[in-house]
Amino acid sequence: MAEAAADLRQAPVPQQRQGAPTLVPVPAAPAGAAESPASAPTPPKNGNGNGAKTNGAPSASGSFIVVRDRFTLYCDRPIPSLDMPNALAYEVADRKQEGRPLYALVCKSDMPARISVMRVLKGLEIPAILHMVDWGVAEWPLADRKCVIVIYHRPLGGRVMDSMNATFKRIPDHQFARAVIKPIADGLVELSLKGIAHRAIRPDNLYYMDEARTKIVLGDCVTSVPAHDQPVVMEPIESGMAMPSGRGAGTYADDMYSFGASVLMLNIGRHPMPGVSDAEIIRRKIATGSYSALVGDERMPVALIECLRGLLTDDPEQRWQATNIDLWLNGKRLTPIQAKAESQAQRPLRFADQEFHAVRPLAFAMHQNWEKAIGIISDGTLEIWIRRGHELNELADGIASAIKTATAWGGGNKADTDDVIVARVLSLMDPKAPVRLRDFRCFIEGFGAALAIAILRKQKLQPFTDFINRDLWRGWLTAQTGKTTADNQQFETVYRDLKNYLKDPNSGAGAERCVYELNEWLPCLSPLIDTQYVMEVKGVLPALDAASKSANTKLWPVDRHIAAFLRARYAKGTGAQIDAMNDSRPDRATIGMLSVLAIVQWRLGPETLYGLTGWVGGLMAPVINSYQNRNKCKDLEKEIPKMVRKGNLAELYNYLDNPEERQRDAEGFAWAKAEYATAEKLIYDFEHGQVDRQESAIKLGRQTGAVAATVIMTITLLIVLMGAVF
Amino acid sequence: MKNRKQAFLYVMLAIPIGLMIIPTVIVLAVALVPTGVAFILERGKGYYGGLTVGAMNLAGTAPYLADLWTEGHTVANAVGIITNVFAWLVFYGAAMLGWAIDSTTPAAVSAFMTITSGHRITALRAQQRELVQKWGPDVESVYAPEGGKAADAAAAQAAMMSAEPVAPGGRTR
Repeated sequence: MAEAAADLRQAPVPQQRQGAPTLVPVPAAPAGAAESPASAPTPPKNGNGNGAKTNGAPSASGSFIVVRDRFTLYCDRPIPSLDMPNALAYEVADRKQEGRPLYALVCKSDMPARISVMRVLKGLEIPAILHMVDWGVAEWPLADRKCVIVIYHRPLGGRVMDSMNATFKRIPDHQFARAVIKPIADGLVELSLKGIAHRAIRPDNLYYMDEARTKIVLGDCVTSVPAHDQPVVMEPIESGMAMPSGRGAGTYADDMYSFGASVLMLNIGRHPMPGVSDAEIIRRKIATGSYSALVGDERMPVALIECLRGLLTDDPEQRWQATNIDLWLNGKRLTPIQAKAESQAQRPLRFADQEFHAVRPLAFAMHQNWEKAIGIISDGTLEIWIRRGHELNELADGIASAIKTATAWGGGNKADTDDVIVARVLSLMDPKAPVRLRDFRCFIEGFGAALAIAILRKQKLQPFTDFINRDLWRGWLTAQTGKTTADNQQFETVYRDLKNYLKDPNSGAGAERCVYELNEWLPCLSPLIDTQYVMEVKGVLPALDAASKSANTKLWPVDRHIAAFLRARYAKGTGAQIDAMNDSRPDRATIGMLSVLAIVQWRLGPETLYGLTGWVGGLMAPVINSYQNRNKCKDLEKEIPKMVRKGNLAELYNYLDNPEERQRDAEGFAWAKAEYATAEKLIYDFEHGQVDRQESAIKLGRQTGAVAATVIMTITLLIVLMGAVF
Repeated sequence: MKNRKQAFLYVMLAIPIGLMIIPTVIVLAVALVPTGVAFILERGKGYYGGLTVGAMNLAGTAPYLADLWTEGHTVANAVGIITNVFAWLVFYGAAMLGWAIDSTTPAAVSAFMTITSGHRITALRAQQRELVQKWGPDVESVYAPEGGKAADAAAAQAAMMSAEPVAPGGRTR
C-alpha cells in the first residue's frame, strides 16, 4: 500500500467540531517544501486557498493538502452535513478532472479504518453504493498527524435523514420498491460477492446522489470498524447485544436486517422507537420478534409488510436475500415466514421481579441484572427450572459443568469466579448472543477490533485479558451448535496463540501482540510513531528516523508496540532478534534491539537512517562496556560516531558485534585473569611467607658460615703444610 | 649386637693408633674443647655451628700440630704446646671466630633476601596495575590458600583456558 504524498501548507485556525480530532496549532511548513514546483498545487480559483504562501505565522484561512498528487483537500472547508461519526468531511478538488463533485472523509485517529475494504472498494462502481474514488494516508495539519483520508463522490442531494432522531418527509409508497429497495438490495449483493458486509446501513447514512433527490445510495462503510456506529435498533438482536466495537465483521444477512430496519424507517419517516433505551429495544425484540417490536402500532403499507417481515426475520437462515426481493418485486407471493417458537416452561421462573417462561429472555435479564444472576445459578434454581420446566437436560448439564469448571479455574477471587460462571452460563443459555462479562459484550470475531479500539482509547484491558485467559471464548465456541468444526478449529487455534502471547511478559508479546495479530491493517500504535500511521514494516524505520528529532533518545526506539508490530507482521525476519532483545543481560538485550532494527533496514531499507542511527548509537554503552579490553572500548567510542554518520544500522551492528573481536576479547581477558591470579599468588607468597623466609635465611646463613669456615680451615691447612714441607 | 661388634672393632683399632700418636692427641684434646662443646650444643640442630666452630678451631690448631710433627712428635713437645698461653689464645680465638661466623651469616642472608623480594613484589604489583588498566577491575582476583581455594581453582581454570593465550593485539605470550 502506498502512502499518499502530501504537501503541507499553513493551517487555518482550527474550527472545532463536535467529535473532531484534537486540533493543535500547526507550524508553518518549511519554505522549501512550499516552493517546490512539483508539489505545489494550483491555488483554488474561488477561495481563500493560500497554498503558495510560504512564510509567516499560521494563517487563519487557506490551507490545503494534496493527496496522491491529485486531490486537493481544503482543510478550511469542512462539510459538517457529510460528517460521519468517526470521520470529518472536507471539500476536495480533483486536479485531473476539474469540477468533479468530490468530498473527503478524514478518519479520526482513535478508530481503526477498514483498510482491507478500502482496498477492494477503491475505484469500484457499485450501484447504490457511494463511489469511493481513492484513499490514502496523508499528513493532516489539523490533527498534526497522518490520517486515513477517503475520497468519495459527493452526493449532491445530501442525506436522506439528517440524524437518527430527525423526522423527514417519508418517501412515497409507489417509488419505494423501485427507487429504494431494488437498487440497494442489488448493491448489497455485489458487495457480498466481494466478501464485504457493509455494516453501516441506516437512514442517516443514505444519500441522494442527485440534486433532484431521486437516486439513493448507501454511504461510507470504511471509516469505522464494522457496525460500530449502528444504533441498536438497526442491528439484529445478537449484534445489538454486543458493544459497538465488538460486533464483528458480520454477514450479508446482518446487512439485510439493517436494510429492512432502514426501509421501515424510511417508510414511517422517523425512528420507530424514539426515546427507548437500547436494553429495552433488545428486550422487546426478544419478546415479540424484531418485526413486531419495530413496527409496533404503526400502519404499514400492505405491499411492504411481506418484505419487511422477510428482512426483519430474526433467524438469519430464514432472512430474505436479494433473490427473495426480486421474486417479491415480480409479484410472486412467498410463504409467510413463521418464527420458530421458543420452548416455554409451564411454571415461570421469578427473577429480578419478573416472571420468565423462556430461556432467552431470562438470559438477557440475567445480563441486565448481573449481580443477581449468580444467585439463581449457584443455588441450583436455574438448573432445576431448565431441567424440569423445559426438559433441556443437555443445557442443564452444561450449566452444571460450567459452574464446576469455572470454580476449579477461578482462583482465589470469588467475585471474579462468579463473573466467569455467569458469563459461561449466559453463553450456554443464549449461544447466539455475544460473550458477556458485565459491560464487556463481544463476539469472538469482533474481539480484535474491540481490543484495538480499547488500546487506541486507552481503556482498561482487564475484560479483554479475562476473555482470553479465562477461556470465555472457548465456552462460547462450545455452546455453538450451528458452527462447523472447521470454524471452531480456526478460532481455537487463534485464541490459543493469543493466550500464549498474553502469558509472555516479554516485548513482542502481550496484549500488543494480540492486537496486531488480530488486526491485519492496524497501524503501529507505538507512542513514538503513532502519528505517522505506519501500517507496514518497511514504514517503521523511516517513521522512527523522523521521530528521532523529537523523541526522548534515552529510551529505546523499539518499545513493546514496535516489537509486537514487527513480530506480528514480520515474524520470520525479526523473531530471533526480538528474542535476543528480551535477554536479561543489558549488553545482549541492547545488541538485540540494534539487530532488530538492523535486520529490518538491511532487508527492507532505506539505505540511510541518520537520525535513527544516531539515536541507537547513543544507546550502545552497555554493548561497548561488554568488551573487557578498555582500549577496545575507547576505540569503539571513537568509531561509533563515524558509523552513525553513515546512517547504516547493519554496519553499526556488524561493527559492534564482530564475532572475531568478541573471541579475541574473551581470550585476552582469560589470559589477563590468569596473569593477575599468578601474580597475586606470588605476591601472597612473598608477603605471607615471612616466617618461613626467616627460618630459611637462618638455615642458609649457617650453612654459608660452615662452608666459609671450612674453606678458611682448608686454606690454613694448605699454608701450614706448605710451610712445613718447604 | 651388630653395633656393639662394630664399636668394639673401632675401639680395638683406635687404642693402638692413639698410643702411636699420643702427642697429637694431647694437643687436640686441649685445642678442640670448643669444637666438642659446639657439637654438644648443636645436637639435633643440624650441627652447622659445630662444623663452623670446628673448622675454625682446627684452622687455629693446624700451625701447632705442624710444629709438633716437624720438630719432634714427643709428649714433651706436646706438653710444651699446651702449656703455651699464646697457643691457647690461638686455639680458642679461632674457635670464637667460628662462633662469630655462625651467628652473623643468617642475619646477613635474611637481609639480602628481604631486599630482593621487595623488588619482586613491586614489579608484580605494577604488572597487575597494567592488567587492571587494560582489562578493567573484573580481571582482579584474591588469592587465599586455605579459605580461597575457589579463587585458586578459577585462576587455574583461567590459566588452562589460556594454555596458549593470545594477548590483545594477537601476540602470543
